[in-house]
Amino acid sequence: MSRGVALALEDVHRTFHSDVEGEVAALAGIDLAVAAGSFVALLGPSGCGKSTLLRLVAGLDSPERGVVRRSEATGRSDVAMVFQDAHLLPWRDVLANVALPLELLGRPRAEGRGLAAAALGQVGLRDALRRYPAELSGGMRMRVSLARALVTEPRLLLLDEPFAALDELTRMALDDELRRLWREAGLTVLFVTHSIAEAAYLAERVVVLSRRPARVVLDHAVALPAERGPALRAEPAFARELGVLQEALRRGAALA
Amino acid sequence: MTSTRLARVAPPVATFVVGVALAELVIRALDVSPLILPRPSAVLAAAVAESSALLPALGATARAVLGGLALASTLGIAAAVALAASPWIQRAFYPYAIFFQIVPIVAIAPLLVIWFGYGPRAVVAAAFVVSVFPVIANTLAGLLSVDPALRDLFRLHGASAPATLWKLRLPWALPYLLTGLRIAAGLAVIGAIVGEFVGGGGLGVIVLGAMRQQRTDLVFAAVGYASGLGLALFAAVGLASRLALRHWHVSERER
Amino acid sequence: MRARLLLALTALALAACGGDDANLTLALNWKPEPEFGGIFEAERSGAFARRGLAFERTGGPGAPVVQMVTARQVAFGIASADEVVLARDRGSDVVAVFATYQTSPQGLMTHAARGLDTLEAVLRSPGTLAVEPGLPYVKWLERRYGLGALRVVPYTYSIAPFLTDPTLTQQVFVTAEPIAARRAGADPRVFLVADSGFDPYTAVVITHGERLRRDAATVAALVAALREGWRGYLDDPGPANALMGPLNPEMDAEAMRLAAEAQEPLIGVKDGALGSMRAERWAKLAGQLQELGLVKEPQPADRYFASFE
Repeated sequence: MSRGVALALEDVHRTFHSDVEGEVAALAGIDLAVAAGSFVALLGPSGCGKSTLLRLVAGLDSPERGVVRRSEATGRSDVAMVFQDAHLLPWRDVLANVALPLELLGRPRAEGRGLAAAALGQVGLRDALRRYPAELSGGMRMRVSLARALVTEPRLLLLDEPFAALDELTRMALDDELRRLWREAGLTVLFVTHSIAEAAYLAERVVVLSRRPARVVLDHAVALPAERGPALRAEPAFARELGVLQEALRRGAALA
Repeated sequence: MTSTRLARVAPPVATFVVGVALAELVIRALDVSPLILPRPSAVLAAAVAESSALLPALGATARAVLGGLALASTLGIAAAVALAASPWIQRAFYPYAIFFQIVPIVAIAPLLVIWFGYGPRAVVAAAFVVSVFPVIANTLAGLLSVDPALRDLFRLHGASAPATLWKLRLPWALPYLLTGLRIAAGLAVIGAIVGEFVGGGGLGVIVLGAMRQQRTDLVFAAVGYASGLGLALFAAVGLASRLALRHWHVSERER
Repeated sequence: MRARLLLALTALALAACGGDDANLTLALNWKPEPEFGGIFEAERSGAFARRGLAFERTGGPGAPVVQMVTARQVAFGIASADEVVLARDRGSDVVAVFATYQTSPQGLMTHAARGLDTLEAVLRSPGTLAVEPGLPYVKWLERRYGLGALRVVPYTYSIAPFLTDPTLTQQVFVTAEPIAARRAGADPRVFLVADSGFDPYTAVVITHGERLRRDAATVAALVAALREGWRGYLDDPGPANALMGPLNPEMDAEAMRLAAEAQEPLIGVKDGALGSMRAERWAKLAGQLQELGLVKEPQPADRYFASFE
């Protein structure tokens, strides 16, 4: 039984007013429905507004027009976010970093530390509790960031190109780890990326966005088995999916 | 560990010793009047012979400096937090913070004595006036440079403004604050001595008295004590910086 | 780096030898006021010019006159006798040639309303004492009477603290601050330090010993010119005051007139020419300064001054 929330975005518009560029329309009428417990990838060219969309879903921003709806009311502990950089607090050790969201929610310290240790165990970093972010590799920092996102047992997990800065092998390992965590926890995942291969490998559905101002170009159910492993990348079915997505991306990039 | 510490301390100490020895030789050779430029040996002799007056004076000046720095730190951080709250607050009030930077302490020291009376209070005020701006400016820069993604993270989890200030913004600004304190420490010594010229007490009065009595060697000795104080404060801030930042800030990690 | 070191050493060497300019420059230690009236009068009436002296004035408040004369940056300067004794004790070769004040105008003033009749009473009563740090006569008074419960603070040449604090005692030149205080509405009681037995010649013209040895004639001519100037000023301070007025905006004509009047009894010499000095007084001063621990070794009195009767 999934604990994830369902999302509905209806005709969402978001425009920015900057001193330098004047009015910049980031999102021009986004319609999107995300089922509870599903894994959806948002694919689009750089700068198209994917991150803006994610922030609207997170509740950190509001649209000028349109609505962002969640199936049930969500509290402070129900949404978690992972960014491209791990963005850990450098002055705290790994355990304290992962415990941060619980601390902000007012949970007792001991309880928070215990849950944080468990979350770190989930991402395979049980031995790094006392280390500081500056001492860790990029991949380890990203795992800590994941553990921090999961520690509050969220129902909606938002990721903004989290593995983009990592090397290929680490990336592939974390891809598998993320899918595993998703399956185990049954949460709703929204994953922003500009990597076609990553979108295809990870998600059940891929939503392709055009370049700015972003519109939905393609809403595609990925035709790949539910059980996925590294070998999948060599399969012809995978290449087919890449082709479909590539074509949609090209179309979206060409739009005015 | 000790050998690297030695390697770091040895060069400046060696330069100092060589420089002093050279000065001694040159001053002797040119027979410069002790009223104009005393020999280092004479300055050292004065520093030792008059230590019964210089040490308590150093204590008085040091107390005023520490008081001024404490005020500059607390009020400076508070001012920076207030200024960081919104751009229009910054525009409205930051120029007045700059006032502390540009006002010549020599000119307002008499005013401080009028307002605070003779004695340590005016000296603390003088030390505060000259040292508060670096604290404000640096801390503000730190507060304004907080990682936006981390701010989002805190908002996402519903953190209150005090929690965000205490757990994110102030720790983030700490390296900047410590840089500001390094600058403020030396300035506070200058401010205190100028304050003492008008308000009385400490090394400032000894400098004035020594000048009055043509004791140029004692003037240098008193200045030497004051410089020692400045150096000690600088080292203390450096130590605090190392301890606070050693795990995480790039400035203290490459050691 | 080496070039810079060489430059610094050269500058130091020059400072040590001193540059002797062709003009005879005299460095004042304060702003133009009746204390220097005779000098301005000598200039104004041509006393220097007539003797072929290319006279020039410089200096002001805070000028390190003794250092400037020691370094031969100026030919002459104004100092007080105790400064001369102290400087010579530190190895400087400055010599006094003309003493403006036979009686020192240094003093202390307090509010008359306190009803204190002697300096001893003033120093033994609680309150604040504002004096320049390091003044020898303060040490003298402390040794003689003790400073009791007084809080000693620096004097910064403003009478504002005196006007607002009824228990404040401050150092004065009797020709200056008491007059200003009275004109500001206060009622000061003034005590001359000289009356307590410490009486150095004040506003003394000093020169470098080397100049005396090399060119005593020029120094004698200057002293003669100063004598002439002071005689003229004592007769009629008006013209010289008018000359000094624009140079010293803090004193108006009335203040100058009152100051000139107040200083007359301190200048006159009973037995000798204006500005002349006596060995016994120098010896006594040196002894007093030695007692106070300010001087290691008094020199024979005739080293401190030169006579040009």
